[in-house]
Amino acid sequence: MSEVVHAFLGRPDLNQVEIRLDNESREVLLGLVKQFRSMLIDDSDQSLERLYPPAYTKDSELNDEYDDLVHDDLLKEKLESIDVLEKTIWIESIELEDFFAWMQVINSLRLVLGTRLNVSEEDEFDFEKIHDPEQTLFVWLALLLEEAVTASNFSLEDFNKR
Amino acid sequence: MGDFGEVVAHRSWIAMMNPSPIETIEPAVEESSEVKHDQPWIVIVWNDPINLMSYVSFVLQKLFGYSKEKADKLMLEVHHQGRAVVSAGNRERAEFDVFRLHGHGLWATMEKDSSS
Repeated sequence: MSEVVHAFLGRPDLNQVEIRLDNESREVLLGLVKQFRSMLIDDSDQSLERLYPPAYTKDSELNDEYDDLVHDDLLKEKLESIDVLEKTIWIESIELEDFFAWMQVINSLRLVLGTRLNVSEEDEFDFEKIHDPEQTLFVWLALLLEEAVTASNFSLEDFNKR
Repeated sequence: MGDFGEVVAHRSWIAMMNPSPIETIEPAVEESSEVKHDQPWIVIVWNDPINLMSYVSFVLQKLFGYSKEKADKLMLEVHHQGRAVVSAGNRERAEFDVFRLHGHGLWATMEKDSSS
């Protein structure tokens, strides 16, 4: 029996999260976010629309106003999160706040990939049948995010004492 | 629609976001049971096929300071019924909450609360 190696481990004593990814996984993430930054700046790929959902569905004028107001801020936030991930990718244990930036990047990547793959509620991925590289990445990012949620759960403990 | 004053008011919540989005993790609890009648906007999170259930619950706890029990209940409501009201308030507050949910990748909209 081999020991399960988790990608991330919460360190509530330090308010940090230990990054246990191997070097290859870190390289993959780095490559992905580099492409993602270019996509975000270029801002022409239709799958990016998922990152800027409408706030008002019954009033297009209000929604245009909202979009004008927030689009650049949402973009800036994502670019800053990518910067954090790049700067901390080789560090063994990172501050919780920086880890939240990782989570936002990983989730944004999933949203873009999932939109591109036209993922639907009924889709059940059969790991043995996944050959498409984007599907493989989509599933891998889901596993990472699932582990990230578990690893950072300690940050929510105060809320759960209520 | 949307005068200059509203835009200025909206900019004030955007300013609250800067310089770091991490600043927003302090809980801003607005239990739905405490919603007042002078707060006519509701924030709705919609089901989507991509976001993980655990992540949705995590975001609701992180942004609104909800307990895991409450966040899971809302997340399951989203999953099974297609939508859930996750917060309510005046327009500025609701827009701020929608903005933060969008920043975390959730599909959120806002509308006037027809029940109030």
